[in-house]
Amino acid sequence: MKKTRHPFLRDLRDNRVKWLMILPAAVVVILMCYVPMGGIVLAFKEFNYHDGIFGSPWVGFKNFAYFFQSGKAWTTTRNTILYNIAFLCVNTLLQITCAILLSELAGKYFKRITQSVMFFPYFISWVVVGAFIYNMFNYEFGAVNSFLRTVGMEPLDVYSNRAAWPVILILVSAFKNVGYGTVMYLASIVNIDGEMFEAADLDGATMWQKIRYITLPCIRPTVVILFLMAIGTIMKGDFQMFWQVTGNNPMVLEVTDVIDTYVTRSLLDLQEFGMTSAAGLYQSGLSFILVLIANYAVKKVEPDYALF
Amino acid sequence: MRRKTRTGALLMALLLGIGMLSGCGSEQTDAEPPETPEVSASAETEAAEDAGEEAQAAAPDISEEVTLTMYLIGDRPVDNDEVFAKINEKLKAEINATIDVKFMSWGEYEQKYPLIFASGEDWDIIYTADWCFYNAQATKQGFWEITEEALAAYAPMTAETIYPEAWEQAKVNGQVFMLPMNYKEITSYVYMARGDLMDKYGIESVASLDEAEVYMDAIVANEPTLIPLDVGSDYDKLFVFDRMWEKANWESEEKVAAVGTWQAMSSVSELDDSAEVKGNYDQAQFQGVIERLKDWKDRGFWSRNAVVNTQNNTESFQAGKSALALCNVNTAKSIYAQMSTEHPEWDIRVFDAQDGVPPVLNSYLANGMSIFSKSRNPERALMALDYLRNDVEINNLFCYGIEGKHWEASGDHALVSLPDSANYAYDGNCNWGVRNDASWRVVEGGIPGLEELNDAWKESARSRRYQAFVFDDSNVKNEIAAITEIFNTDYKLLGLGFTDDPEGDIAKLKEKMTAAGADTVYAEMQKQAQEFLAANGG
Repeated sequence: MKKTRHPFLRDLRDNRVKWLMILPAAVVVILMCYVPMGGIVLAFKEFNYHDGIFGSPWVGFKNFAYFFQSGKAWTTTRNTILYNIAFLCVNTLLQITCAILLSELAGKYFKRITQSVMFFPYFISWVVVGAFIYNMFNYEFGAVNSFLRTVGMEPLDVYSNRAAWPVILILVSAFKNVGYGTVMYLASIVNIDGEMFEAADLDGATMWQKIRYITLPCIRPTVVILFLMAIGTIMKGDFQMFWQVTGNNPMVLEVTDVIDTYVTRSLLDLQEFGMTSAAGLYQSGLSFILVLIANYAVKKVEPDYALF
Repeated sequence: MRRKTRTGALLMALLLGIGMLSGCGSEQTDAEPPETPEVSASAETEAAEDAGEEAQAAAPDISEEVTLTMYLIGDRPVDNDEVFAKINEKLKAEINATIDVKFMSWGEYEQKYPLIFASGEDWDIIYTADWCFYNAQATKQGFWEITEEALAAYAPMTAETIYPEAWEQAKVNGQVFMLPMNYKEITSYVYMARGDLMDKYGIESVASLDEAEVYMDAIVANEPTLIPLDVGSDYDKLFVFDRMWEKANWESEEKVAAVGTWQAMSSVSELDDSAEVKGNYDQAQFQGVIERLKDWKDRGFWSRNAVVNTQNNTESFQAGKSALALCNVNTAKSIYAQMSTEHPEWDIRVFDAQDGVPPVLNSYLANGMSIFSKSRNPERALMALDYLRNDVEINNLFCYGIEGKHWEASGDHALVSLPDSANYAYDGNCNWGVRNDASWRVVEGGIPGLEELNDAWKESARSRRYQAFVFDDSNVKNEIAAITEIFNTDYKLLGLGFTDDPEGDIAKLKEKMTAAGADTVYAEMQKQAQEFLAANGG
């Protein structure tokens, strides 16, 4: 009798401690991630307060039409993906470079201080960063323009200049995130077996050779995992950053509008919960497909590092 | 092998999760409360009908004491609780209910207002207006319907005194969800200028667009630390455009006027009985207005980064960052006294900014009070509103504060503000929804010359032909959503003069609007406008 028992129940009994250990995490994920998913139905409903989320009438795919009709679907999707790819490449490159530089540095105190200083921006709120940017680039009284005027040059009109914003956004993203990632990479560099470096020293390897043949290959797993995790959020614009740093400026929306800011803006302007949920669902759907593709690609190249 | 068990475990965890999810989901659907209010609502309607029939015979049942929660917009005045303690004292005696007031500030109301309907919070009464979500929430069933029977049963004083036009205007698809103010209000705009700067540059008056232009030119040329007119926040992006546009429309031969939803950028000739609706960008005078705005912007009348302003022009003016403010007369009234005390050296002067355009006689829906559709005590809320509107003592308390502390009567229709009114300002506690002509008092003193201006405005004030017309957008929701986005970006940018090529950008705006389905919207609007004209005898 016992042998024919369901394998899951058997597993539950044999590994009960492990199951117990996973329980808190599972509860959190289910409560915070799965239960709210019920709200997805909102995308297919014409919401009214009286009937609530589940009682409101169904409208099929009508809510999705507005997103495409407004001509915004393509621009916002493009912006979201391109910005995230740019952030991912620039930040990863800078983070690895900084981590290697810091690890090669000799002075212990200098190293510690640099590390802290780089980490610090991670804790600054985007609202504050937005204020920095405004006070630097304000046309009449901004720091940059005041300086340009004193040296007799033409002031820059940043807030109506579309070309400036991709650069500014990439820079502030690096400003905030490089320190954080550097610490992660630094940790994985510190974990590399010191004997390898000693052996390389004995063989007369130069610093560059050590970086090229020891450090980089050893941190590759970290790079791949962080990269994969970033792919999962590639459809998700960093809302705070895009909203606060650009000040929701209509002059440059063409190049700064991401799906998240668009959804928020339309929710505030229209109060159409159904339509904005539809845009959100579109984003999640694309995100899901991207994760599957990325994971598939990784599996082809490096089967050991794939997430699932 | 090991890998396989792990995958199995993962799968099981997922299955378990889904099982729990579906459990939760169905539970949630069951637990969703719509059933309950529906039942009680129908029970209430029956009760209301019964009560209506027996109104003379039996008074409504008020044996159970209730606390009503009322949402107002603005910041809590210092003496609010003291005033409401007095109001509650009387309400308790009359209808066995008290009111607990909650506030949402001007900075957050646009976000918070729709959210409290969705949040499941327990509240009863809220301020509303045609500009403050009335239509949006009414069509989403956010408000409790006020039937004539309910009015007769629970708000007899209101039933008797409410202006019939006001009751008609409040109808959304034939149902009323709001008690509009019982007060005839006109909205007119004024400039507030710095007297010290005017004297310095020999400027006599700033009472028209042309005079404002001269004044701002002088500021640009001589006062590099000041922005002449610091418009551009979400609140006042279109203020200057509106002044110019209204003037151009009023002077146009066709007497162009706005119609329908503001965001639809639609207008119509008041002389045209077929009510042909056009986009503003298709009106002949639009380009001229945009060209002038561009000229003003290029000359530095407002900031080059005005579009990201977070402070509105009046706040900026109060802070001494700008030399001119453009605001409606109520705003001017509420800040004039304070500014004159804080900065007597500025010598603030107020001028008419209507520039020959008759001010608008506001629709009654410009202020009103509504009851939440899920309120537990909608009848008692209606009774409370009845007292807030019509009981002279309660109405005066809400509108002006405590007599003898915040104000002093001066005749039957005027009052003098006392120093304590700093803690409860005259007509300043979002009491506008219960304003009542029968017990209204004007404040004496204040801005010099305002009374003459007021008289002139009252004489010329007019209702627009389509003022009471409410556009029902349920057939064109997607188009309106797409158009609103264009309104908030392209149109507002033009309205601040941010364009290098007015003609080209107007053509582009038109192209985008056509793509977003503007023609469908305008056709629908024209159809409804014609029905409106037919129903209202032209």
